[in-house]
Amino acid sequence: MFNIVSLLFKYIFIIIIYMFIFSIIRLIYLDIKGMDFVSSGDYAYLKLINRKDSLPFKINEHYSIDEELTLGRRVDNDIVIKDPYVSKYHFKIVQDEDNYFIEDLDSANGTFLNGERLEDAVMLKNGDIIRIGNIEFLFVNKGM
Amino acid sequence: MLSRGISGRTPRRLLFLYEILALSLLFVYQIDKLDKYILATGMGLILLVYISNYLLLKISKGDNYIFLIATMLMSVGIIMIYRISPVAGIRQLMWLSLGIFLFYLTYFITKHFKSLDRLLYLYIGGAYFLFLITFLFGERTYGAINWIKVAGFSFQPAEMTKLILIFILATYYSRYDKYKEVKYSSYILTIIVFSFIGLLFLQRDLGMAVIFFGIFIILQFIFEEDRRLIYINLGLILVGGLIAYRLFSHVRIRVDIWIDPWRFIDDKGYQITQSLFAIAEGGFFGKGLGLGHPQFIPLAYNDFIFAAICEELGIFTGIGIIMLFLLLVYRGFKIGISQVNRFYKILALGISSLFGIQSFIILGGVLKVIPLTGITLPFVAYGGTSIISSFMALGILQTASEDMEWRMDHE
Repeated sequence: MFNIVSLLFKYIFIIIIYMFIFSIIRLIYLDIKGMDFVSSGDYAYLKLINRKDSLPFKINEHYSIDEELTLGRRVDNDIVIKDPYVSKYHFKIVQDEDNYFIEDLDSANGTFLNGERLEDAVMLKNGDIIRIGNIEFLFVNKGM
Repeated sequence: MLSRGISGRTPRRLLFLYEILALSLLFVYQIDKLDKYILATGMGLILLVYISNYLLLKISKGDNYIFLIATMLMSVGIIMIYRISPVAGIRQLMWLSLGIFLFYLTYFITKHFKSLDRLLYLYIGGAYFLFLITFLFGERTYGAINWIKVAGFSFQPAEMTKLILIFILATYYSRYDKYKEVKYSSYILTIIVFSFIGLLFLQRDLGMAVIFFGIFIILQFIFEEDRRLIYINLGLILVGGLIAYRLFSHVRIRVDIWIDPWRFIDDKGYQITQSLFAIAEGGFFGKGLGLGHPQFIPLAYNDFIFAAICEELGIFTGIGIIMLFLLLVYRGFKIGISQVNRFYKILALGISSLFGIQSFIILGGVLKVIPLTGITLPFVAYGGTSIISSFMALGILQTASEDMEWRMDHE
């Protein structure tokens, strides 16, 4: 009895192990496909904090900022997020020499910087966390 | 359809399924010896793995594949160990629980303790101290002095020293610009590392000496600006290896066994020939769990666990294990490349090369591709210190997979 079960199980084990490997390779593949490599040098960028597979819409891991960056639901934004929570034009980040300022564009649900709702334009610091709904971005400025 | 069905949860569920099936099979196998205690530990293992994988997803924003891969390897390993020797299996489970706990502990320490990259002298001192206590209190087993027995538990200091070595190299190269001002600082570092290798050689722990040299040369190759030093090191190790082969009989015998184990089949070549027989006996799909004869392989749950797995679960499982190690090392290097903080970058690269070299040396040894040296297969083989140090290394890798960039201080 045991012998038959064991003979059967060895095939099942091999199938499970290979499915495990396959699913990990598949996930890593998706992970790499969504990665756009940021060039080195002095630059600032937003990095997605959320796990990408937890968000039900298309979003990248990195968005580099040069001069100006806008986020919203409309397709003419630099970052387009098809989430009903996001306004058509939600916020923008503007570069002024070495500094970056974030400004809310009168969005319905607001933009939160380190947990506080944005009222005016605020200067961004390294490690600042920008939150819209449940999407969180980390601001990184390498030029600073 | 298949690819659509894969979500982030799929591998965790597959792992869960694998463990449930394997444990129920083992319980049928051991049906007459079964008691509540064993049943509870088995369930404990499954819960431990599932919960810790789930928890990590919540705690860490970093990579979530490396721990999954490690726990898969560990599950294949512990099931084989339990099948060969239930007592060892239960002890292994204890070590694994401690290992997973230390994984989380290391993760938190390396994440929140900020001056880790400034303790160069402490690391060097610590490494020498571990060597010292090995020589003072060490016991000689299988021709190597590398075990210390404390209160019934065996402890292998070199397993910790190899992590310290990675820290030494990471500290040195992350603050390379500062240390470079000292004349010949890279040469001094080289001498220190070679002294470690020499001490390991005196302990006759050849496998560990190769790991040390491998990590050192890889990191030096990536980060050292004085390229001549790398060629000098390669030359030195070549000459050193040849001299060792001529002078020391225990080095020579390993090479001789590797070239022709059949000549020594009744004595020193017994291990490797039994391992080859076992792998051949298993074939593609193996004999089935509990139906092979791993008791004929010496050290079946230690150094030769790969042969035992191949015998009972087939060479396909063996290939699967090698692929899992490939994925782990690939993941580690990817973490290292995308990490911007130099200290954590070097740690990640060092640890990935550690896993790569260590699994290559023992798998190559068991398959008679390279001369056999007794080290453990990370995560799979039985062994207290080895499991603990592997999980600690994984914890460091987990920290390194997170975004540490904004934490850099711009001095």
